[in-house]
Amino acid sequence: MTHAMVLGQRALREAWRTPEALLPTLFIPLFFLVVNVGQAGKIFPTGSTPFLEGQNYAAFQLPSSILLAASFGSAALYLVEDIEGGYFDKLRAAPVSRTAIVLGRLAAEAAKSVAITTAIVLLALPFGISIASGPIGFLLLILLTASWAVVFAGFMQLIALKTRSAAATNSGGLVFFPLLFLTPNFVPRDLLTRPMEIASTYNPVTYIMEGLRSLILEDLAWAPIGRGFAVVAVLGVLMVALNVRTIRRYD
Amino acid sequence: MARRTLAGMALAVEAEQLVKHYSGRGGAVEAVRGVDLTVEAGEVFGFLGPNGAGKSTTVRMLTTLMSITSGSARVAGIDVAADPDGARRKIGVALQEAGLDARQTGRELVILQARLFGSSRTQAAGRAQELLELVDLVEAADRRIKGYSGGMKRRLDLASALVHEPEVLFLDEPTTGLDPASRLTVWEELRRINGRGTTIFLTTQYLEEADQLCDRLAIIDDGLIVREGTPADLKAELRERRGLATEPTLDEVFLDVTGRTRERTAGEVQEVQG
Repeated sequence: MTHAMVLGQRALREAWRTPEALLPTLFIPLFFLVVNVGQAGKIFPTGSTPFLEGQNYAAFQLPSSILLAASFGSAALYLVEDIEGGYFDKLRAAPVSRTAIVLGRLAAEAAKSVAITTAIVLLALPFGISIASGPIGFLLLILLTASWAVVFAGFMQLIALKTRSAAATNSGGLVFFPLLFLTPNFVPRDLLTRPMEIASTYNPVTYIMEGLRSLILEDLAWAPIGRGFAVVAVLGVLMVALNVRTIRRYD
Repeated sequence: MARRTLAGMALAVEAEQLVKHYSGRGGAVEAVRGVDLTVEAGEVFGFLGPNGAGKSTTVRMLTTLMSITSGSARVAGIDVAADPDGARRKIGVALQEAGLDARQTGRELVILQARLFGSSRTQAAGRAQELLELVDLVEAADRRIKGYSGGMKRRLDLASALVHEPEVLFLDEPTTGLDPASRLTVWEELRRINGRGTTIFLTTQYLEEADQLCDRLAIIDDGLIVREGTPADLKAELRERRGLATEPTLDEVFLDVTGRTRERTAGEVQEVQG
């Protein structure tokens, strides 16, 4: 654990010293929030749209922006830099568990996600959005989002380790856009067309989005929250295992 | 426990029939085809060869960074394939590209490396100060590495490879790309480190460097060791065999054993002035 912690601290220092990589992570999701609400907000007025649970459409859209921010993690690109610059070999030549090498960066990614998600939610509050599930719900929302950030950063790191290329890693990150749009992004799942409903049912991001949405719009509803956490737990374990295996076999 | 030579010297590095094959885009590559090596504890051992001869691949296998296709390798008495973490505790590694994180300061980097080798926060800070003094980087220690010159980066890389007082230090072309003054500084550091009892395994393309620093050397070509001995013995052997009036240089030895001509080696092996 000590190794994972010191490597996590190093990854956080790296992020702190590269603010230009962090700022778009905050502003682009907010931009999407403003644009999506601006385009569809009038279609779904608060009073006559039951699925908004008395809030405005921005509250319904907020999970998309939060998930987008959590999927912008730069851990994998820093990893490519380490590989290209030789620092990754320095780590591999040290008696450090391969799991700690993976967890260090992922822990830093979780910490960054906590800060960015908190900032997005705080910036959203003046626009009439509230967290209906209260302070516990807010903490669960942060935790679920940070867990997704770890999963997606793990996926990106896997691409980085396999390809050792910044261009390929960057392109791999674009896979999040189809994942994001094949969800009940604009309306609940039961209002989607049948093909979209089927696609979103098989998309794991759907369950994280529904978990986050329930935390914003409803009191603590454990079924969607539980499904969200179950998805990130399974994917998280899978990503860490695949990353560790790839580093062990790295030549 | 380290094994010993017939003369009773402890062995720092021992490779038997070391082979590395891998699949490249152009098909299977036999990078190393059966290397036998022994390096005695306390030696500075030079590993020479043209580009693509298998130097770096051999070093990467000895330092646990690359899997071994067949054969075996022991470093400080530990089998690198069977107990890689055990071997990692005994070796320091500075590879071709100074493996540094440019966003950290020199001090942060050395402290982190010491922490990875098990030092407490306080021990790591103390060890970092010692090593930064050793490589004469105290003044620059709290500046970000991205502002360091090539020579400073190499010295910092050396310092970070020494945090755990390794028994064997592997250096892959430690002076490539350095100006003559920086090269001399690195040579001095290496002599000082070796003087403290650390075995040094050094690959280089600079024959003058090998001549200046190495007690013994091996030349690898096309994945096989083609000559091994002290620089003086290798030169004497060539002089006798060819009946030369004057002592040949190490680069003449190199050209002789690799069957290369000066024209063919242009850009592969360079002679530098110390």
